[in-house]
Amino acid sequence: MSTRIVMKLRVAESVATTPEVVRLTFVHPQRPELPAWEAGAHVDLRLPDGRTRQYSLCGDPADRSRYVLAIKREDAGRGGSLWTHANLTPGAVAHVSHPRNNFGLAPGARRHILIGGGIGVTPLAAMARSLAARGADYTLHLCARSAGQAPLLAELQALCGDRLRCWFSADGPRFDPAILGAPEDGVHLYACGPQRLTDAVQATLGRAGWPAERVHVEHFAPIDDADFKPEPFDALIASTGEVVHVPADTSLLEVLRRRGFAMPSSCEIGVCGSCECGYRDGTVIHRDVVLPLVRRQDRMMPCVSRARVNVTLEL
Amino acid sequence: MSATSAPRHIEAFAHAAGSVAAGVPGGATGWHGTLLNIHIAPAASYEMEELTEAHCVAGRGIEGDRYFLGTGTYSPKPDTREVTLIEQEVLDALARNDPPLQGGPIQLAPIDHRRNLTVRGVPLNHLVGRRFRVGEVILRGGRLNFPCKYLEELLGQPVYLPLYNRSGLNCGIERGGIIRPGDPITLLD
Repeated sequence: MSTRIVMKLRVAESVATTPEVVRLTFVHPQRPELPAWEAGAHVDLRLPDGRTRQYSLCGDPADRSRYVLAIKREDAGRGGSLWTHANLTPGAVAHVSHPRNNFGLAPGARRHILIGGGIGVTPLAAMARSLAARGADYTLHLCARSAGQAPLLAELQALCGDRLRCWFSADGPRFDPAILGAPEDGVHLYACGPQRLTDAVQATLGRAGWPAERVHVEHFAPIDDADFKPEPFDALIASTGEVVHVPADTSLLEVLRRRGFAMPSSCEIGVCGSCECGYRDGTVIHRDVVLPLVRRQDRMMPCVSRARVNVTLEL
Repeated sequence: MSATSAPRHIEAFAHAAGSVAAGVPGGATGWHGTLLNIHIAPAASYEMEELTEAHCVAGRGIEGDRYFLGTGTYSPKPDTREVTLIEQEVLDALARNDPPLQGGPIQLAPIDHRRNLTVRGVPLNHLVGRRFRVGEVILRGGRLNFPCKYLEELLGQPVYLPLYNRSGLNCGIERGGIIRPGDPITLLD
C-alpha cells in the first residue's frame, strides 16, 4: 500500500473490442521492459486535472513489453473514461503508475473459478492468461448483455476454449451463483463486476458455506451507503501529540494534508488502498472496499473512513 | 499534473545546518570528482528522466525538475532542495551489501534514487557549508540529505536504513549554467 511511480507511456494501439470498450496497448518510450506485475493488478491512469482512475491490466503478465487496458466509456461516469476515449489515441502519452495488486491469485489453490461481469472481466482475463500458461485448472464465467457487448470476447474464446462459459442475458439465462454449489477444498473464486453481481456471489456463496477467505472480490466502485451521515471527530497524531479536528464535511485525508502530512492517495473513494494508515484507541467507521476484515482493527483508509468521536493515528 | 507554482527554497548557507558548517574549518580537500548522471522528474512520484545536459538556475533548481517547478513531494515545505546529489560509491556499497545491515545486495540505479546528480569521487558528507563547482555551475552545500520512507515505498525496496548517513547532499545554486555528464567537480572553499 503506497504511492507508485508514474511513467509517461505511449499508446501503441487502440482497438474497439465492443462499441463501448476500447482496448489500449501502452509501451514505454525509452525502456524495453515495463515493471513486472501479476494477474489481478491494476494501474492508476492520471487525468490532466490530477485525478486518477484505476484500471486492471488485462494483457499477459508474462509480456513485459506492454501493458493492456480495456476501458469502458461511462457516459454517466465521473469523466475519466470519456477523456480516455477522446484522447488516448495511438501516439498519445498517458501517465500510468506502476502496477499494484489487491486481487492476486491465491497461491496453492487447486482450482480457480473466475466470474466477470461486463468490464469487470479485465483482471480475470489476466488471471486466465496466467492460469492457462501454467496449465492450471480454471473456469471463466463471462456475464454480459450480449456477445457484442462482452469485452475481450474473441481473445478469451481463443485463450480459454471450453473453460470459458458465457452468460448473455439478452438470449439466455443470467449467471446464477447457486450453480457453484458447496465449497470444495482448494477451490478459490474471484469475482469482479457490478456490485449487484459481486453482492449476489458473496451472499449466495456465504449461504452455501464458502469460507470468506476463498471468495475474492474486487470493486472499482465505492461502497454504496448513501444513507451514511458523516459526523465530526478528532484525530490525535501519535508521534506529536497534536490533535486535529475533522469536520463533518471534510475527509480525514484532506484534514491531514492541510496539516502538512504528505499523504499518498489516488482514487480517494476507498477502492485503491494508497492512503492506508495505522490507528489505535478509537472506533473507526470503515467505508472503504479494499481493506480486508482482519486488518481493519488497526489500519484504515482516511480518504473515506472516519471515527466515532476520536481516534489516535499512527503518524 | 498539478499547476505549477513558484517554489520556495531556503538558501543553502541560511539553512540551520549550512549556516553553522560554513564557519567551521576542516573537511576533505584535494579531491577531483566527476558528474556521472543527471536526472529530473516533472512532479512528485513521476519516473525520473535522464538528461544529457541540464540548465541550472540560481536560487531555483534544474529546469524541468519538480523542485524547480514546485511540484515535488516536499515542495510545500521550504527547505534547501534546489539540487540533490548522491555518491556513486554509495550505490556501489549498497550493491555489495556493505555494511551487511540490509537483507542482501540492493541494486539502486541512478534513475531510481531520485536525487538529481550522481557523482563519483566527491566526498559529499564533507561539503555542508562549502562551495564547489560542477562544470560551470557553482553549488553550495546546505544540508545532508537523509533517506525517507517515501522513497522506500515508491521503490518497494528496503533502502531507508542502508542509506542512512550516506544519502547525499542538498544544495543551493549560487551560479547557474549548463551541466553535462562528465563535467569535473572541484572544491572552491
